[in-house]
Amino acid sequence: MTPLTYDVVVIGGGMAGFTSALYLTGQGYKVAIISKGDPVCCLSTGCIDVLSSDKNPLDGIPGLSRDHPYHLVGKKGITDALNFFKRIMQDTPIPYSGTPRKNRTILTPIGTAKTTCLVPMTMAGSETESDTYIHVISFKGLKDFFPSYITSGRRNIRFSLYDAGTSSTIGIATLFEDKSFRREFISWIQNLELPHGKVAFPAVLGIRNPLKILTEISDQIGREIFEIPTLPPSIPGLRLFRTLKSSFIKSGGDNYWGKVIASVESQGDQIEAVTLKSPGRPSRVPGKAFILSTGSFVSGGLYATRNTVKETVFDLPVFVPGTRKDWFKEDFFQAGHAIETAGIKVDSSFRPVNTRFGNLFVSGSILSHAEIMKNHCGHGLAIATGFRAAKICEEFLS
Amino acid sequence: MIKTDVIIIGGGATGCGIARDLTLRGAHHCLLEKGDFASGATGACHGLLHSGGRYVVNDPGAARECIRENAILRKIAQKCVEPTGGMFVRLPGDSKMFRDRFLKSCDEVGISTEVLSPTRALDLVPGLNPAIEEAITVPDCSIDPFRLCMLNAYTSRHGGGEILTHHEVVAIVKEKGVCVGVLARERLTSQIKEIRGRIIVNATGAWGDKIAQLSGSHVPMSLSKGSLIISNHRLTNMVINRLRPPSDGDIIVPNEAVCLAGTTSLPAGDPDTIEVDPVEVDIIASQAEQMIPAFGSTRLIRTYTGVRPLLKSDAADGRAISRGFRIINHHNGMFSILGGKLSTYRLMAEKMVDVISDEFGLKVACKTADIPLEGQDELSGYPLSKRLKTMEDIICECELISRGDVEHAINSIGTQYIGDIQHRTRLGMGPCQGGFCTYRALGIMQDLGRVSPDESLKILQQFLQRRFKGIRPALWGDQLKEEQLVESIYLGILNMEPQE
Repeated sequence: MTPLTYDVVVIGGGMAGFTSALYLTGQGYKVAIISKGDPVCCLSTGCIDVLSSDKNPLDGIPGLSRDHPYHLVGKKGITDALNFFKRIMQDTPIPYSGTPRKNRTILTPIGTAKTTCLVPMTMAGSETESDTYIHVISFKGLKDFFPSYITSGRRNIRFSLYDAGTSSTIGIATLFEDKSFRREFISWIQNLELPHGKVAFPAVLGIRNPLKILTEISDQIGREIFEIPTLPPSIPGLRLFRTLKSSFIKSGGDNYWGKVIASVESQGDQIEAVTLKSPGRPSRVPGKAFILSTGSFVSGGLYATRNTVKETVFDLPVFVPGTRKDWFKEDFFQAGHAIETAGIKVDSSFRPVNTRFGNLFVSGSILSHAEIMKNHCGHGLAIATGFRAAKICEEFLS
Repeated sequence: MIKTDVIIIGGGATGCGIARDLTLRGAHHCLLEKGDFASGATGACHGLLHSGGRYVVNDPGAARECIRENAILRKIAQKCVEPTGGMFVRLPGDSKMFRDRFLKSCDEVGISTEVLSPTRALDLVPGLNPAIEEAITVPDCSIDPFRLCMLNAYTSRHGGGEILTHHEVVAIVKEKGVCVGVLARERLTSQIKEIRGRIIVNATGAWGDKIAQLSGSHVPMSLSKGSLIISNHRLTNMVINRLRPPSDGDIIVPNEAVCLAGTTSLPAGDPDTIEVDPVEVDIIASQAEQMIPAFGSTRLIRTYTGVRPLLKSDAADGRAISRGFRIINHHNGMFSILGGKLSTYRLMAEKMVDVISDEFGLKVACKTADIPLEGQDELSGYPLSKRLKTMEDIICECELISRGDVEHAINSIGTQYIGDIQHRTRLGMGPCQGGFCTYRALGIMQDLGRVSPDESLKILQQFLQRRFKGIRPALWGDQLKEEQLVESIYLGILNMEPQE
């Protein structure tokens, strides 16, 4: 049993949870993260979508539904949160490019332009205008990235394939960590005699130090380089997760990884501890405050049964949009299925409504009415609400 | 222009069966199918080779046909039939009188049965509801409708017949009031082909009246929609039927690694636009759960629905209409073959070809009941042992399909249709329902020069719409989780725009 009581126990090790946890350790609090596994951000492009409707993402906020959690954070709050995120990534191997006040586009694996806000520096040079010639270099047999798709609807683009001898993104990214592999690869590119323009790669340029590898290749071939995200497993997502986790450990936080919560101990309106499932003696994690950031359906924070939706840790009341018949629109491409509004309703202090717990705060995609697919606001929402929940938690503790 | 003796419209079991029968009797023919094989009711059924037990009380004639054909197909189509055996289970509250009638009728029709105690039934199928009163075994089997069609067509293809899939008949050519040919449109290129023949056979099931109308005729049909659900697990190794008069959700059939449960019976309109209602899913799942409790909590990977092409009758309910079949002579050079069921497809084809032979004055007897289906040895098949052999370069992780399998399928049939690859390799048949692997398979088709990047994106979009239609009515639990991930890939990472 852990002798000490944590100031804050964060449940869920994704974007929202890490944002909260990193802010709080930075303020000197003793923080623990409990996560049942690696988060959904590993499957993401690593880009921080804030809101895709306008040139300035913040301009889209008034147009969101009345219950959208962004309204609880406000423009300034969102900006502060994104700047905080940029700052903590600044000294890591994966710094970010961009500003919270401006959206940009990146090239997708099918040649479309995707709107996002902050991007890993390895994607900073991403080009979606077709007046620049782009040469894509991909890898033979790579199954989650087919460069031919990118040429659809775009004239000014060609591709070449390098035989790396393996067909998974992780396999190739691992090869890029090896200096001799890179040397051979670079000399192969040099023999291609590429025309002027930019060179693009699927996002597999190493796992630990992508920017260094990208710069090395760029310097030697004399071209500007950028990465294009791939289908999951996504290396930029994996890099983001690993970086956040190691920053958290460095900042003095404790992590309980691969742990599932078995029970909750509470006294009156206060949660005192959660107990983790374990093969041996169950371990108890006590805390003064708790932040729930277990995510939505994909992460398992919410679970739908045939007729309703459950919150999986505290069994909190969930906002459910109608009955199952109403959850999905008929058209796959029509974003904004009603089920996306499902989640936990919170008050202005990010406490779940209609519950007795006074020391529980909720953040991230588990919040109701976030409609992440419709608004393209996934990581932005996680960072903004994670940051705000942490600040409120801080006030609560003092 | 293609010239032939018999034009068969429809590539379901009946049409393909007619093609094989004609081949064995030496008549030239051309089969036209607007989609892939088995894309109508043949592919949208339970995949159950009936013993006849289901019909024995209300329709002994159909039951008699079933048990006879059941014995024949076990013999001639070994690679399509899994002799699982089946049982009818009686739950508390189910009529004992019906059970007595059932046993008596089976005896009369010649369906072998054995009455089992609950303990013995549970020994055979441990997933059964332990509360069952008793079970009666029957010789039901699981059958693969797609392979059945493919093998029947194989005989025809190798015997000089023309088999044109993805060709939709858009007009019937008539001269002096007699049908002399058809115009068919190739689906992808929209190219029109003319085929001339002496007899046209309309074996289009639910589309029967549409085709008959093209010739200025009409067939009386009563369309009935039947929906099914697919579980992610094989919850039983035997076919499980409910021992009561035919009703919703009373049959569960094991098929490869999954189970199919259904059906419903609702009046249907246009067979091209039918959809599964979430309420039907709830009905089937809760009925199936009564026989096999795990059906209530198991993950459902997809739903589907088909239209039974029943003969028109005065019966109010589709279930009360006979499952028998009929051949209609339109007296204009066209024949329609209607009704029937997958289990009796061979018999239907035999009777149809008997009629054609009479017209042609052919004196060759039907051989389809005696000669095993050709091409069974060549069938690479989907056995897991084979799939495990080549674990390299897996493209579809759910069903263990390798890049080599996909390339082989694409090259051997030269297709541009993703559905063709899925039917022939099981690509995309698992829990993700092609959410990941279809993008890859189309990428491989681009690599092989079969489709352009633009075409493949269009095909991918159409596929995603079709896929969504099948899974939407059963989205909860793990399947909803998977669906949101797939959505985040296509609408998020790829920012795929809806197609107008």
